[in-house]
Amino acid sequence: MLPGMLFILVFIAIPIITSIMLSFFNWKGYGNFDFVGLKNYLKVFISDRYFYTALKNSIIFSISVTIGTVGLGFILAVMIDLKVKFWKFYRFFYFLPVVISTIPLALLWVQIFHPYGLLNNLLLEVTGLESLQRSWLGEPNIAFVIIILVDIWHYTGFTMIFFLAGMQNIEEDIYEAAKLDGATTFQRIFKITAPLLKNVFSIIIILQLIFSFQVFDIVYAMTRGGPFHSTEVLGTRLYQLAFSEQQFGLASVYAVVMFIVSIIYAVFYIRVSGYGKVALQS
Amino acid sequence: MALYRRKENGIFNKLLLQMILIIWVIFQVVPILWLVSSSFKPSVGIMNNPFSFPLKSLTIENYDFQKFKTFAGIDISIFFKNSAVVTLISLILLTAVALLAGYALARIRFPGKNIFIFFFIVLMGIPIHALIIPLYYLIGKIGLLNNYFGLAFPYIAFRFSFSTLLAQAYFKQYPNEIVEAAKMDGCGHLRIFFSIIMPGSIGIISTILIVNFIQFWNEFLFALVIMRDNAAKTLTVGLMSFKGERATDWGPMLAVITLAILPTLLFYLIFSRNLIKGLTAGAIKG
Repeated sequence: MLPGMLFILVFIAIPIITSIMLSFFNWKGYGNFDFVGLKNYLKVFISDRYFYTALKNSIIFSISVTIGTVGLGFILAVMIDLKVKFWKFYRFFYFLPVVISTIPLALLWVQIFHPYGLLNNLLLEVTGLESLQRSWLGEPNIAFVIIILVDIWHYTGFTMIFFLAGMQNIEEDIYEAAKLDGATTFQRIFKITAPLLKNVFSIIIILQLIFSFQVFDIVYAMTRGGPFHSTEVLGTRLYQLAFSEQQFGLASVYAVVMFIVSIIYAVFYIRVSGYGKVALQS
Repeated sequence: MALYRRKENGIFNKLLLQMILIIWVIFQVVPILWLVSSSFKPSVGIMNNPFSFPLKSLTIENYDFQKFKTFAGIDISIFFKNSAVVTLISLILLTAVALLAGYALARIRFPGKNIFIFFFIVLMGIPIHALIIPLYYLIGKIGLLNNYFGLAFPYIAFRFSFSTLLAQAYFKQYPNEIVEAAKMDGCGHLRIFFSIIMPGSIGIISTILIVNFIQFWNEFLFALVIMRDNAAKTLTVGLMSFKGERATDWGPMLAVITLAILPTLLFYLIFSRNLIKGLTAGAIKG
């Protein structure tokens, strides 16, 4: 018990506090800590050109990816659960992308979306679609959408296995009874399956929201935050400020913002799912 | 379990279902297939006939390890080794610590137990990326930058909560009789743990190992920040430097990516069932 707690204390609890404190200082990664009060916060909220883009992007990213993966994951799980043959085969391949490391994966997709890459080449071959070719990761608005889509591609399998496992726990009899009462497939899905999976839904949604909110790897690897900072997220800005520009104080403000938003997500979750009461009771 | 009625769901619907499912499989798998097959084609015409697999003209020229050296002369095999070592250390230590903690939570009565559990759940929601700065400072201060343990320790801390909760769920279900018998023979908690529980816990041990292997092997940000020396970089980090230096030569690029994902693919081939089961076990009881 003790060694584990020690790890957590040292490597998580203390850093949290330090992070918050650091946001009130200037620090260049070496040398002195100069206390500057709220100056860093002002700098970030007022003069940092990319802060609001990053904040907006992080939020949009987390919500889009969550909707995408949860929606698709649920649909896929429902389809597999309809007693198709080879369901294990499907589950195997749907979960496969999830285990692939984000970095090599991102590099692969960069090749696919490269101006001379796979996608453009395919479009070229199909007459009539040549005009759709573009620099997918080079155009400000499109690049971000691409990254979101790749992330959904990456993690849909993750949500799916949870829904599938939950569905496989539901007893046959309920469906039989519904069938006898004349329920159609859609009715069964919406009135039986979904409500019974409410807990799984809420856990998965909050997990996805929080994890995807912290996005860094995929953006860093695909666009580094470009083009023209259009794909910046809080994570990439934090990294850039801290480790490229040695502005640890400013970067810490980003860290604090990330904490706050995560807390907001978590509070929202506890409210919505009523989990707080359950946990406190046990 | 059947969601369909026999009458309304003839052959046609089933076929349609299979078709959609297969389309999605293709969608998920094709990029990887393309990756692997293209890595065996020479760089020059790599985009011609992207989906062809010309058995006659396949080549392994892209896999020439000479091409994998970064300009600093570091071989990619070093990156592999670093990832392997860090992952191994983290897995071993994490499993040890999580098992002990999980057992304690499941079996030993002590004050404030529920607070710990709640605490762990809360811990899982913390954005760990936000901790990178103070951790960087801390690790630097204790002199563990570019050190395997400097990376392993944070890794363990990050995955501790989740793994402990997994272990706790397992130990709660552990048959009581054996433990009771041992207690009657006068064994203390620790003795019970090591002599009796451990040997029979291969299931949870492997689950913890499997579930966390992926996380450690694939991690990027902390490895990027803590392992700065070229010689210490893990695979994910090394891969990025490789990209920076050699972005234009696609053959070797695709080959390196293939090699990079190979270990996890092999791992997945063997352990997919355990992995999926291990991950979903906790969520279902909700």
